[in-house]
Amino acid sequence: MIYPVVMNIITSFTEWKGYGPWKWIGLANYKTMVADGQFWTSILNTGLMVLYIPLSTVVTLLIAAFLREGIGGWKVYRAILYIPNLLGYVLMGVIFSIYLRDDGALNMAIKRITGSAIHFLITPILAINVVGFLLVVFLHLGFGLIYFLAAMNGIDKSIYEAALIDGASFRRTLFEITIPSVRFAVEFWVVFNFIEVFARMFSFIHTLTQGGPGYSTFTLEYGIFIQGFSKFKVGYSSAWSVVLFLFCAIISVAQIRLMQRRDE
Amino acid sequence: MKKVSPFGPIARLLVQAFMILIVVASVLPLYNVISASLKSLDEYPTNPILLPQTPTLDNYQYAAFSGHLLRFTVNSLVYVPIGVVLYVVVCVLAGYAFGKMRFALRRPLFLIVLFMSIFPQLLLAMQVSKLISLMRLTNTGLGVILSWVAYFAPFGTYIMTTYFTDMPYELVEAARIDGASQVRILMSIMAPLALPMVATIAIIGFQSMWSELPFSMLILQNEALRTVTVGIAVLRGEYGLRVPILSAALVIAMIVPLLIFLLFQRYITLGVTAGAVKG
Repeated sequence: MIYPVVMNIITSFTEWKGYGPWKWIGLANYKTMVADGQFWTSILNTGLMVLYIPLSTVVTLLIAAFLREGIGGWKVYRAILYIPNLLGYVLMGVIFSIYLRDDGALNMAIKRITGSAIHFLITPILAINVVGFLLVVFLHLGFGLIYFLAAMNGIDKSIYEAALIDGASFRRTLFEITIPSVRFAVEFWVVFNFIEVFARMFSFIHTLTQGGPGYSTFTLEYGIFIQGFSKFKVGYSSAWSVVLFLFCAIISVAQIRLMQRRDE
Repeated sequence: MKKVSPFGPIARLLVQAFMILIVVASVLPLYNVISASLKSLDEYPTNPILLPQTPTLDNYQYAAFSGHLLRFTVNSLVYVPIGVVLYVVVCVLAGYAFGKMRFALRRPLFLIVLFMSIFPQLLLAMQVSKLISLMRLTNTGLGVILSWVAYFAPFGTYIMTTYFTDMPYELVEAARIDGASQVRILMSIMAPLALPMVATIAIIGFQSMWSELPFSMLILQNEALRTVTVGIAVLRGEYGLRVPILSAALVIAMIVPLLIFLLFQRYITLGVTAGAVKG
């Protein structure tokens, strides 16, 4: 564990193809990186993904609160919405790449209604938002529902009954009972989503857009893959890795804090 | 007893409609894949949306044999269970050590485990594949299994640790007074009590390993050895591959995860909550 991290940092100061001789080039990789448009696009894209986290939290919480009220068939809904988590990022990425392509089923339907297709995966700004929405909001929904419902299950039912007798609306019980009671779960959910955005997106991007069009759906993680394994600029890719490592270290501190607070 | 609800009849209907809308929207891509997989190559371009008019299994035959999906599935069915067994052993032993034994550096080591469990795979991929090739395990099942266990074990260890920590300490004390060794305490007292959680981490491990991509892609470069997940990712990149065949491959790849879900639903629910919620 320590070994790969240290090796990574050392490699980031070298020029290396992944095999053969090394060449020490000091900070040159970092200078290239700072001047590299792909690097900044990756950072911005990763940031854009982060912006989807609040939406994901609100949507998931709200649906969980609906299901908690015992809406008919809630178990079926929960199970169906969990399917994407079951199939994993690779299968879901390929499934959506078929569904959203210009001559795919969704666009054929849209064409029939509006006359023109929406280039979900071809327009750069749309593509990155599709990735963000699908990964952060849609793919995590099933997981989040099970998770929040379990947390809501721990709330004493009599509180709800008392609130109902007082004539409290759904909105009031949601904001004054449900959300405060599952606050810890919400915090965990946010940290979990940060981890997903920074550290678990590769498989989905690789199968949905392959980083394209151009490099418009690169994230830090995907850039590391392209530089290191596709262009064989291992030294350079290690410089990106060091940046990603720093981000992960920050998230990890937040996570450990959260867990320690729970243990108290 | 009458079920209490804050919704009036109209609100109830609206919520119900909203839920059905979401569920339908999330099922459509899956429907699309299944229906496309049953269409002939000629039918799909003219009828991409509706159900197949003349269903055919030709795409499945092609995907399973010419696309080697069958062989890839068998590969996964060999590697993943071996990986899961190793993973469970490592997690239970390490979890017990962290949860119920006292030793130097226990706390810093545990923090490192926590940190490792969130590590992005791509940060490790280069060094891991180098290490595996130094061990001369590139293009072997063993190589990929070892990389999986090493990468996924920290999270399982974390879950087992919290579980063992919560178990009453008196159990260990009592057994130790009776002269039982640590191994005996673990094997005959703690492990049986922890069985539901062991099953849970086994399912988590199975799912993680089954859909793992970067390590298996780098370690298994020989086509004959690919896992089903790598196989699908490679097929996706193949230029000009027809949608119905790719869809059939996807459906084949879905079978095992769906079966696991149907058989072990209870443990999956437990697994989602094990990471964070207590009680």
